[in-house]
Amino acid sequence: MPKPKSSKPGDHTAYSELAVRNNAAVVEYCRTSMAALSGCTAGILGLTGFYGFGFYVLAVIGLWVLLLMRAGSKWNRYFLNRKSLLTNGFVGGLCTYVLFWTFFYTMVHVY
Amino acid sequence: MASTGYHKIILTIGICFLVHAAVSAAQRKSSGQDLHEIPSLIFQGIVSLIVCMYAIIYIAGDLKEIRATEELENKSWETLRNIPSFYMFNHRGRSLSPAYDPTSINKALNEE
Amino acid sequence: MAELLLDANIRGWVFLPIVVITFLVGVLRHYISLLIGGSQKKADIQQVQDSQALLRARLLRENGKYLTRSAFQMRRYYFNDEEVGYFLTQKRTAPASNPMTDPSMMTEMLKGNLTNVLPMIVIGGWINWMFSGFVTTKVPFPLTLRFKPMLQRGIELLSLDPAWVSSASWYFLNVFGLRSIYALVLGENNAADQSRQFQDQMSGAAVQMPVDPKAAFKAEWEALEIYQHQSALEGLAAEMIE
Repeated sequence: MPKPKSSKPGDHTAYSELAVRNNAAVVEYCRTSMAALSGCTAGILGLTGFYGFGFYVLAVIGLWVLLLMRAGSKWNRYFLNRKSLLTNGFVGGLCTYVLFWTFFYTMVHVY
Repeated sequence: MASTGYHKIILTIGICFLVHAAVSAAQRKSSGQDLHEIPSLIFQGIVSLIVCMYAIIYIAGDLKEIRATEELENKSWETLRNIPSFYMFNHRGRSLSPAYDPTSINKALNEE
Repeated sequence: MAELLLDANIRGWVFLPIVVITFLVGVLRHYISLLIGGSQKKADIQQVQDSQALLRARLLRENGKYLTRSAFQMRRYYFNDEEVGYFLTQKRTAPASNPMTDPSMMTEMLKGNLTNVLPMIVIGGWINWMFSGFVTTKVPFPLTLRFKPMLQRGIELLSLDPAWVSSASWYFLNVFGLRSIYALVLGENNAADQSRQFQDQMSGAAVQMPVDPKAAFKAEWEALEIYQHQSALEGLAAEMIE
C-alpha cells in the first residue's frame, strides 16, 4: 500500500512505507548477524579491552560499506539516509556483540 | 539479487572456517602457545568473517525501492482502482444473490 | 590480578547449559505465546458493521456537498430517520469499560504476564539455585569496581577482579544479549506481523472500534442532524457559461 507523504510539488519524495519497513528489516537482520559473527571472531582472536570495541566499530563500518556496495551507486533508491544506516542500532548490536565475544573468549581462552 | 543456494553454501563455508579457527585456537592455547603471535589464525578469522558477512547480506533478503512511484509502475490499472475506503459490503446488490434471505442478517444480529 | 584457572567441568556443566537453557526457554516461550494468544483479536461482525456505518456517515458529512440535495436527504434519511434510521433503530449496549470487571481483558493480561514475566522469574530462580556460586567466565575487557555487584551476584569475594562473572549474572547477560538473536531465529514472527498489518489496511482502517458504539452512534447522529447541506456544485452551470 503506497503511502505518499506530503511533498513539495515537483519534488519526487513520495516513499512507499512498506518498502522502507522491508529495507529496515533486512538491514536489522544483517546487523544482528554481523554483531554475532564479529563477536565470535573477536572472541576467537582473543581481543581484549579496547581492541575488542575497536573491532566492533570496524565491523559496523565494514557492514555499512558492504551494504552500500550491494545497493550500488544508486543507494538513495533504497535508503533514506546514508548516515542513519551507519549509526542505527549501534548500541543494540553492541549488546549481542559483547555476549558472543564473551562466550567465545571464555570457550577458547579462559578455560 | 535474490538469495540463492549459492550464498548459503558460501555462508556454510565461512562458518566452517570460523569454527575451525576456534578449534585450532583452543588447541594451540592448551598446548601453551601465545596466540597473538600467529598471523595465520588472525587472518583466517577475519577472512571468514568477511565471507560470512558477504553471504549474510545476500541471504537477508532483497532491498526494495522506497520510492512509491517505483512500486506503482508494476501495478495494473485495476490495482490502482482498489480503494479500501470505498468498500461497501452492505449494499443492495446482495439481494440479487440466490442465497439471499432478507431476514437473515437481522436474525443473526439479534441472536448475539 | 592473578589469573584464575577454572575447571573445565565448569564449562561443560555450568557455562554451556546456561546458554542453552536460556536460548531454548526463549524459543519455547515464543511458541507458547503463539499457542495461547494464537487467536488474534477478531473483530466480530457487529463491530465491523458498526464501524463501517460510522465511516459511511462521516464520509457523507465530509463529501455530502457534492451530492444533489435529494440524494443527500435520502442518505441522511437512511441514518437519521426517527422510525427507520440506522442510528436510532440499532440498539447497542455500552460495553463494560473497566478492564478489571471484563473477564476477557483479565485473561489477556494474565496471558501477557504468564508468557513474559513468569519464565524469567522461574528459570532465573532455578538457575540461581542450581548453578549458584560458580565463577563461570571472564569478560574480555576491564571493568570498574562498580560492576562487581552486577556481575558477581552470588559470590562475595572482595579481592576478585570485577571482570569475572558469576553464573547468575551470566544468565542475565544471556537474557539481554539473546533478544535480538530471537528476532533472527524466529523470523516468522516478524513476517506474520507485517502481513497482519497489511490485512488490516485492506479490510478498512476502521476495524479498530470506538469503545462504546452507543455513544459513537449518538455523536454521529447529532453531527448529521446539524449538518447543513450546501451543494458545492450549485450555480456551476452558470459559472461555466460565464
